[in-house]
Amino acid sequence: MRWVWRGLLGVAILLPAAALARPLAFVLNSDDASISIIDMATRREIRREPVLRQPHHITLSPDGKLVLAGDTVGNQILYLDPETGRILRRQTISDPYQLMFSPDGRVLTVTGLARNQVDIYAFTDATGLTLLHRVPARSMPSHIAYAPDSSVVYVSLQGSNRLMAISVRSGAVLWDVPVGETPAGVLWDHDHVLVGLMGEDGIAVVDPTDGHVLRMVRTGRGAHNLFFSPDGRLIYVTNRVAGTITVLDRASLTVLRDYRVPGGPDDIEFAPDGTLWVTQRFDHGVLFLDPRTGTYSRINVGRSPHGIFLNTDRHTHRTEEP
Amino acid sequence: MIDPFDSIAGYVQLHVLVPLLWHLDLMRWEDLAYGWALFAVYGAAQVALMFALCVPLERLFPVERWPDQRVVLTDIFYTVVQRVGVLPLVTFVGFYEVQARLNGFLTDHGYVPPTLERFLPFLMGWPVATFLLYAIILDFADYWRHRISHRIGWWWALHSLHHAQRQMTFWSDDRNHVLDDLIGALWFGAIALLIGVSPMQFPLLVLFLRLLESLSHANARIDFGPVLGRVLVSPRFHRAHHGVGAYGARSCNFGAVFPWWDMLFGTADFSRDYVPTGDPSGDEALASGSYLAQQMAGLRRLLGRGKQPAAVQ
Repeated sequence: MRWVWRGLLGVAILLPAAALARPLAFVLNSDDASISIIDMATRREIRREPVLRQPHHITLSPDGKLVLAGDTVGNQILYLDPETGRILRRQTISDPYQLMFSPDGRVLTVTGLARNQVDIYAFTDATGLTLLHRVPARSMPSHIAYAPDSSVVYVSLQGSNRLMAISVRSGAVLWDVPVGETPAGVLWDHDHVLVGLMGEDGIAVVDPTDGHVLRMVRTGRGAHNLFFSPDGRLIYVTNRVAGTITVLDRASLTVLRDYRVPGGPDDIEFAPDGTLWVTQRFDHGVLFLDPRTGTYSRINVGRSPHGIFLNTDRHTHRTEEP
Repeated sequence: MIDPFDSIAGYVQLHVLVPLLWHLDLMRWEDLAYGWALFAVYGAAQVALMFALCVPLERLFPVERWPDQRVVLTDIFYTVVQRVGVLPLVTFVGFYEVQARLNGFLTDHGYVPPTLERFLPFLMGWPVATFLLYAIILDFADYWRHRISHRIGWWWALHSLHHAQRQMTFWSDDRNHVLDDLIGALWFGAIALLIGVSPMQFPLLVLFLRLLESLSHANARIDFGPVLGRVLVSPRFHRAHHGVGAYGARSCNFGAVFPWWDMLFGTADFSRDYVPTGDPSGDEALASGSYLAQQMAGLRRLLGRGKQPAAVQ
């Protein structure tokens, strides 16, 4: 019988290792108060982690050990295990909508969309978040980007058609200017700030020194969010109204191609096999787009999926410019 | 599998609302529009379901028969406006910035609205149980809102519009003065600051509770019996609340879903039979006027004109 015990012991030792190695995707179902945990190998939802009320966005901690998700109506930041998606602990924070760490990993900026405030927090693994600055904003502070040196954070003000720049060190508002109709996603690129304009049909290229719009790049109606490709050569833009994803050449910002993507494309993550994982906000699904062919498949998740995180991405800092 | 109501709401959002918002330069409300699409689709389902359930019951077991039911048409209008969310949407958008400022003010002062789960951590991970507990607490709060609205003169002046209907049917649940609805929204907004917002992912459970509230107004001889009738509000129980002799402060049976609060606080009356309904103390326009005439009559009554309320006696 000794071999049986040895076998069981072996299984017991190997099981956690196998669990650790499992690539998972976490999808925040904003109107379903849950996080869908998807096995990336089979592309099947393996469980739903209940949260309190309305989870929207998700980000990886600078050391890669924790995933932070904001539950806006539940007024909580959830700390998840990136290996399993289990909730490890919770911290009370008012209305945490978007959240993003600075490139140097020292601060976390959180937008309070429904309270017109932007919070800048210091983060340590032991104590969690400590408020450094609370900055009053105009209507609906939404998406976030940083200057590469982490000195300035840029926040789109969705309800007032503006972009604001905040000094990370002092919390002072450096400028707050109009950039176009309903600004959403923000991305720093080549000494410019790119802003998706939901109420227009493209992105604004903004001068980070004073916020004036240098030019527009047409992508599609309802340009929403922007993402670098893993190799850093392309920028993908989700166009909510047009139902497309536009690919831009990063160097020239010229349009290379469009993919038709139904269901109100929102956030994108990149799997190691090159597939784009796209949340379909109003079709309650995650879509897997092969960028080589433009073909896709999809699975159902919960109601109104918004933020997405792939734990295969946990050793690369998401906010750094590739 | 996706809930078919969710699919319809998603379709409406993608193919109607989002393009419309984009053309109208209103994309800032895109998220809200989706919430409204869900509300409207489930609201339409509520109306269809209560129609399918209540019409046969009112035909088979009527309390009263009326040769002319034109006054019910106004109640149908109230129901559609309320249940598909036109009025809640207008209220939400109108007060959005006020709410955002209030949220910011409270956050600045270190107050973050808690949730029931924070008080009762064992509820974490049990959203259906949490939802039911919220439903009970909110029904308790609604009992007191409703009872107080009968006691305070100016509030009764508004609320009497709801009681004026002599042809009470399942459509009568939503006939309210807009200011009375607004006070109700503020009441529940204040409670949300104390105990948080209830879980929102169970529209089918909300649909069931709203169906029960509609049924309680039905013109039907339906009694839930001595046991179930003390668990859920029946049409017979709620009809006593609307009785002609029970207007204003004289009323009883204030509960909307559960009769427990009336039993606990001494306002339950299980003895009254299927009484005629209405408020003889109010202007006729409150009972049989058009939607606008009813709203204006309520306003006149609030301002001390027209027939005066008999709330505090």
